[in-house]
Amino acid sequence: MEHELNYRTDLWIDWCPGCGNFGILAAVTRAMKDLRLDPSKTVVVSGIGCSGKIPHYINVNGVHTLHGRAIPFATGIKIANPDLTILVHGGDGDLLGIGAGHFVALGRRNLDIVVMLHNNGVYGLTKGQASPTLPLNSKTKGLNLPNIQGSVNPIALALASGYTFVARGYAFDGNHLSELIKKAIQHRGAAFIDILQPCVTFNDIYTADFYRKAIYKLEGEEGWDPVVREPAETEEKILRAMRKAMEWGEKIPIGIFYENPAITTFEDRLSDILRGSYPKKSPSKSVIEKDGKSIFNAEIFEELFKDFIIEVKG
Amino acid sequence: MKEINIIIGGPQGSGIETSMSILSRAFTRKGYGIIASREYFSNIVGRHSYIVMRVSSEKLPQSIDLPVQIIAASDAETVFTHFDEIRGGGALIYDINNEKKKLNEVPSMENITKQRIRRKLESKGLDQAVSSIIEYLRKEEGIKPIGIDFASILSELSKKFKLDPGHLSRYVSTILVSSISTVIGLEDDYLLFGITSHFKNRENILKHNLALYEMVSERLHSMKEILPLDTPKLKIEKMMVLTGNDAVAIGKIVGGARYQAYYPITPAADESTTLEKYGHGTEGNQDIGPIVILQTEDEISAISSTIGAALTGARSSTATSGPGFDLMVEALSWAGANEVPIVITYYQRGGPSTGQPTRGSQSDLMNAIFSSHGEFARIVISSGDHEEAILDAAEAFNLAEKFQVPVIHLLDKFLANTTASVKIPDIEKIRIERGSIFRNGGEYRRFDASNSISPRAFIGDDGIVIWYSGDEHDEIGHIVEDPENRIKMYEKRMKKLELIRKEVPLNEKLKVYGFEDPEFIIIGWGSTKGVAVEALESAAKEVGVRGAYVNLKMLWPFPSEELKEIVGKISEKKIIVAEHSYEANIARLMAMEAGLNVGGKIVKYTGRPFFLSEFYRALKSILFDNEEKVVLTLGA
Repeated sequence: MEHELNYRTDLWIDWCPGCGNFGILAAVTRAMKDLRLDPSKTVVVSGIGCSGKIPHYINVNGVHTLHGRAIPFATGIKIANPDLTILVHGGDGDLLGIGAGHFVALGRRNLDIVVMLHNNGVYGLTKGQASPTLPLNSKTKGLNLPNIQGSVNPIALALASGYTFVARGYAFDGNHLSELIKKAIQHRGAAFIDILQPCVTFNDIYTADFYRKAIYKLEGEEGWDPVVREPAETEEKILRAMRKAMEWGEKIPIGIFYENPAITTFEDRLSDILRGSYPKKSPSKSVIEKDGKSIFNAEIFEELFKDFIIEVKG
Repeated sequence: MKEINIIIGGPQGSGIETSMSILSRAFTRKGYGIIASREYFSNIVGRHSYIVMRVSSEKLPQSIDLPVQIIAASDAETVFTHFDEIRGGGALIYDINNEKKKLNEVPSMENITKQRIRRKLESKGLDQAVSSIIEYLRKEEGIKPIGIDFASILSELSKKFKLDPGHLSRYVSTILVSSISTVIGLEDDYLLFGITSHFKNRENILKHNLALYEMVSERLHSMKEILPLDTPKLKIEKMMVLTGNDAVAIGKIVGGARYQAYYPITPAADESTTLEKYGHGTEGNQDIGPIVILQTEDEISAISSTIGAALTGARSSTATSGPGFDLMVEALSWAGANEVPIVITYYQRGGPSTGQPTRGSQSDLMNAIFSSHGEFARIVISSGDHEEAILDAAEAFNLAEKFQVPVIHLLDKFLANTTASVKIPDIEKIRIERGSIFRNGGEYRRFDASNSISPRAFIGDDGIVIWYSGDEHDEIGHIVEDPENRIKMYEKRMKKLELIRKEVPLNEKLKVYGFEDPEFIIIGWGSTKGVAVEALESAAKEVGVRGAYVNLKMLWPFPSEELKEIVGKISEKKIIVAEHSYEANIARLMAMEAGLNVGGKIVKYTGRPFFLSEFYRALKSILFDNEEKVVLTLGA
């Protein structure tokens, strides 16, 4: 009899009461349970801030890294051991501010990792400064003055970067969010979920109340099909997703914006250039020693490095 | 002659590196020992680039030297730049089409350099044309001018093979090496071997180059063997010819590296290129690797993903130089906090800031040892030459995994871009030590504090769940701020330094060369070794003083006790340090860690390598003229 709590540690959770992260944590662990993920083969990688603490609350491998750097840490883990299921959790400052370059790079690689953006518009743990997703001129209660920097559009950026699964969920719509997370995990390639996450303490604009009024589901739209079924459809599907990505304010779409299963993953590309020895002999799995010695002997050495070896003929 | 020194120069992109490769292979084939250093600007095409090569019939040379006996110049700039670096009856090989060129007609030369050379020419009463320099060298220095009409040779080649005139500049390097080989009297077979092994798999180009060699040696028939080199006496049957970057890549492959992430930067990038080429075995030998090489979006990503890969049990490394390392420093601290075995290969270049991207330095010693916030254990090692670099690159992983610390392998541009012939290292000697691995089932605690070194399990191991955090953590890996836990974990990590001091064998900490009962001692690290050891030999032979060189291999934790024991009986005045820096930081480290003061410093910060003759002169002025600090400046 499996229970959701199997995927939860017994640590006290120190997020503010009412934080959207509770909804995200519940949805993630529910998705893990539904997919019966093996905790020893699953890794949650996070950055810094409120979202960064999530690995400690989930009973699978957890790597709580540096501000902005969750994606590169996850990239090394995944490439070295492609058997693992990897979920990156980051805040908006984490993924789209300090870590924006890494966010873009993961899309280019299409490595099989799920990225979940805890999008609350503020830097919560440092007392509410404006994040890269807070619109220009917004004045949330942690700010002295209105925000003089514009915002980045996470969905549009993910599409432009090459993510092959792009979705948006809402922290307090657990059923919908955990279904998105499951689809993202099952997708082969880089998956991105923008999760609207109210920050009860510092963001008094994007409240649960605000989202309840604005949110609508894409899957309820007549004829909405985000999946690329033929390569020829790719451009059109991206453009449609982009148009939906521009909607914000009165009406905010959630659901799957774009899904393209046909683009090669980074693992496939590595397998090609490494002549099939990858992923079978991935970096974490291949033999490097025999009885405490290098697998090289003089003969193998001289064969492999013959370009550098010169036989003297004096 | 027992030895010969050569400069080959021309614009960047004109095949200077090709010349180095062909000649190195040709000389090695005959059994000579070679070493060649490459100087170049931060530029793709057009700026002045040159090789200084030393060829010996008696030994594997460990340093380069000026003045040279041969200059082979494909352009006027080479003649202007190096005319005072050739002496004593050598040969100047040049293109006669450049004879009329004047100094102010060299657009690629920096104005400051032009002024400097103009002053030199004026002091010798020369006007500013190549022809007057050639005449001066002939008369005053007994240098034989060998003018070759490059254009006519190339047009002949072009007619013969119907070549695109736009591609002819590619063949200039072969004119140079063919001339050099003719003048020295290297038999055809050897240079042909050099050309063939360099251009293998490029049949057409090979054919053109072989024909070109014929043309050049025919035209220079009268110059054959005017600078004969003695028959080699080295008695080595097989040699490797490689750069320092190659050496490290080879060491990593043999040492079981399985993941390397890097961001392109000079002078580190070539290492990753070599790793990529040889890191997954040969068609017939699928047992090797594969090593996954990832070119990342920046150096932060490079080290972060290297750490990630290490958490899964893969031997992981990155390679960079100063500016890139500076970006890695935050993640280095994370690796220290989480006891992650990673290797950072750090090739120093001239700083501060972008400084001299393509020149060398050893000014980052303190950066490698003390960078990063907080206190944590790390190991910093360095290599004195190519052979050491191969073995150390492999050993770096053992150190990292045995002590579960980040290891910084501190090298420099000099080693990276120096080609040398070396003995094939004894591969059977290379051990793979993975340190303490968790095997006994039961509850796993990654940071088990009953010992400074906790058994490692890897992310992905069956039935085990592991937590890591950059925050202070408990034995499981969860965040804990309790003061008692803080003391326990802090001490667990810091005590590794004592353990490292105790367990690393002496020959991995330092190595002493020269006399066992020295009258003076030179202390240095990294690529200073070769020139210092050869300067000792000169001092013993020429002025009869006995010296020793201490090659510091482990720079952190600093081998204070071992070093004190060695220098114990030597008076402070006779302790000399040598380093490519302004401050000679190694002296500071010795004072700080071992309470040792030094009597003399030999430093250089032009970004150009130490040359044997200048180093030897500096040594003598410290020993006999009571100089305390000698700043060296040789080299263009």
